[in-house]
Amino acid sequence: MPEIFGANKSVEIDEITQLEKSGKYKSMFGSFVVEPTKTRFESQDDDEKIVVLGRRHFVTNLKWIAMACLAFFVPMFWGEFPVIKMLDANTAFVLSVVWYSALFFYVIQNFLLWFYNVYIVTNERLVDVDFFGLLYKNINVTQIGKVEDVNYSQRGIFSSFFNYGDVVVQTASEQRSDDNSEKSAFAFQAVADPDLVVKIISELMEENQLSRR
Amino acid sequence: METILNIQISISMIIGIMAKILMIMILVMSLVMLRQTALMDKVIKLPVGGSIKTLIWSFFGLLLLLTVIVVLA
Repeated sequence: MPEIFGANKSVEIDEITQLEKSGKYKSMFGSFVVEPTKTRFESQDDDEKIVVLGRRHFVTNLKWIAMACLAFFVPMFWGEFPVIKMLDANTAFVLSVVWYSALFFYVIQNFLLWFYNVYIVTNERLVDVDFFGLLYKNINVTQIGKVEDVNYSQRGIFSSFFNYGDVVVQTASEQRSDDNSEKSAFAFQAVADPDLVVKIISELMEENQLSRR
Repeated sequence: METILNIQISISMIIGIMAKILMIMILVMSLVMLRQTALMDKVIKLPVGGSIKTLIWSFFGLLLLLTVIVVLA
């Protein structure tokens, strides 16, 4: 049984053991990664261990992927646009180059925002990393001991079908996300397997309470 | 086609200039993305972070080359 070592405590989590045995949840491109290797975050302590690293479910990317796929074929129909029909061949070619450059920029940017917008559950803390666009980031950190309540919600056909939802962690703090779009500073939006996330956080809270006694 | 100050202005010329400006803007934004990726990688160090940085650098290099060609063309 794996042991997750805290500063002065040893915590055993059954859920993590079962997930480890299943062999799933190991891909770094996955939406729910259990005990990721070679992964660290900015303010991580030396004896702090990452239990879960997660991000939005991959299905939430379908919107921009579909748009990008559609945009990929637009230059093939340049001839249908009257204004572009009037251009000489060189200018039409340059326009295609600009179009594809912008398209790849859009794809890479959206991928980066999905890939690096993560939440991290460690044996000591919860960390929520939010990047809004390319120039603004918001990082929330709370101790497991300060978590009061944790719940999740699934709304709509897609979230039920693909099993993703919003996990809201209530802390003593009344702080909210900077853009007020989230119910709490610790709202992990559209995360994969929200039931597992809630279960793991609850178990960590229980272990934390037991170790305090 | 119009002639202003002995310069023949066509729709191709106007769209060509706009395309060049757009290309430079995308290059500048990719430079911002390059910097932001480095910062993101600093916040969360993932095993594939190096590969992602290489991808962004490659994109920037290609875009730089294309911008030079488009602007000089």
